[in-house]
Amino acid sequence: MRVSLNLADRLGRLSIAGISCLVLVFLALPLVVVVAISFTQTAYLKFPPQGFTWHWYWKVVSDPTFVEAFVVSSQLAAAATATALLLGMPAALVFARRNFRGARALSAVFLSPLVLPTIVLGVAILQYASALGFARSFWALYVGHVVLVTPYVIRTSIASLSGMDPALEEAAQDLGATRVQTFFLITLPQIKPGVIAGALFAFINSWINVEVSIFNSTAQFVTIPVKLFNYIQFNIDPTLAAVSALTIYIAILVVVAIDLAVGIEKAAVNTTTNARS
Amino acid sequence: MRLTPVNTAVLLLGPIAFFVLFFVAPFALLIGESFARPDGGMTLANYVAVLTDGYYWKALLNTLLISFWVTVVCFVLGYPLAYFIVFHVPSAWVRRGIYVLLVTPLFTSNIVRAFGWIVILGRRGMVNSSLIAIGLIEAPLDLLYSKTAIVIGLAYILLPVMTLSVCSVLQTVDRSLIEAARDLGARPSRAFLAVTFPLSLPGVVAGSIIVFALSVSAYVIPSILSGGREMVTPILIFQQYTATFRPDIGAALSVVLLVVTLLLIGAYLFFLERRLRVAV
Repeated sequence: MRVSLNLADRLGRLSIAGISCLVLVFLALPLVVVVAISFTQTAYLKFPPQGFTWHWYWKVVSDPTFVEAFVVSSQLAAAATATALLLGMPAALVFARRNFRGARALSAVFLSPLVLPTIVLGVAILQYASALGFARSFWALYVGHVVLVTPYVIRTSIASLSGMDPALEEAAQDLGATRVQTFFLITLPQIKPGVIAGALFAFINSWINVEVSIFNSTAQFVTIPVKLFNYIQFNIDPTLAAVSALTIYIAILVVVAIDLAVGIEKAAVNTTTNARS
Repeated sequence: MRLTPVNTAVLLLGPIAFFVLFFVAPFALLIGESFARPDGGMTLANYVAVLTDGYYWKALLNTLLISFWVTVVCFVLGYPLAYFIVFHVPSAWVRRGIYVLLVTPLFTSNIVRAFGWIVILGRRGMVNSSLIAIGLIEAPLDLLYSKTAIVIGLAYILLPVMTLSVCSVLQTVDRSLIEAARDLGARPSRAFLAVTFPLSLPGVVAGSIIVFALSVSAYVIPSILSGGREMVTPILIFQQYTATFRPDIGAALSVVLLVVTLLLIGAYLFFLERRLRVAV
């Protein structure tokens, strides 16, 4: 016979809810604070912010070095994501559909940039690019970022491919479709949401990276996070808050896009945890 | 789709070529550099320098200590949240909102998140102005630029990783087992300790190892929130390339960091294997 909930049990339930709410506040607080302070009318950081002004945003968009950094970051993230799709989807197709000797080890190598120290990847690319003569250039950043973000595409694509009914592909092939036709007409439409989510994860993780970029950019040629990193060493002011707030708005847009594509819960659990099942 | 060996080779050609050229080769070069002598020979001198110097050791121990506390904080805060999400949130919409709150920080640059903590913990920051406003203190406290600030900053960054890892395992816990314990008369707390928690341990261990590994190699947060007062291995590596210009020492330190991380990943995989065998 089930024991009914007594006072202690109810308190237990309540305290889990209470702790969870505090933790959620803890998660939101730094981002909320940055957004709030980006509207302050004071010339220095003050909390709570005073008044309301768009001044710091205008300062950012009229500063060519910030605009340039936004452009560099966007081009880099777009190029890295496109390449990650071209490399990651074929690899995922193989890992999801064929088992061969060494497949596990190979997929571990492709996924390892997720857990290896990013700063070491940055250093390794710097030395390698110096030896080959393309250090501190767009191409050095590009190859580093492709390595960094391809695992996200591979992981989400494998998850989508494993969740799909293989009979659909077999039926297409039995009816005479070539493998290329089968992939583009049957497989790709089925896994499209997962691929979009993977591409968005790849894009945002290139967009926010500091460790690989900082070793491979110059004072003039920088991405937004590196620009912020250099800026924060000397100035802590509302301009910094405005740029940071802009990147937070972009993060929110990407989260919403992922939610619309596959649902944020599924994407978050599939892509950011390492449990392999 | 049935893939022939030829299909497989064609599909893997691009990814393998790219990763060999721009991932394996750079790491091989870095490892080579760590053994390089200025005149071109091989030497262990860089490792001897790194592993016998008290300064480097202190930095490494400091890194491990910080990572330990980050893991503890992430567990203490992340587990209840994961439990709450999986068992207590009744509405799909609320759960969705919570996941948005978990993922948005993950999609924000470390530098922006560190800046958020500067605004909160700084001398004119939120905590100090609130404490002064209610009259608890008269002069602002030094909350930033300490080990505690680094632990808070890193725990903040890695909390979603721990929470999602625990969530992914709690979701798979067979609820009829918990129901059975309750039907047999166990109080919720006892059912939790005897059934739910042991079943969720794989998620806790996996999440802890990943959180620990990512803390050990974190650069941005320690660099911003230490104010130069705390030294960790990733900051040391950075300095070898930007201040002291000793890429050979930097390479040796990088390899040490890599080995520490690989040992942790090894432990993680070993644990997963064992868990699989137990499950079978």
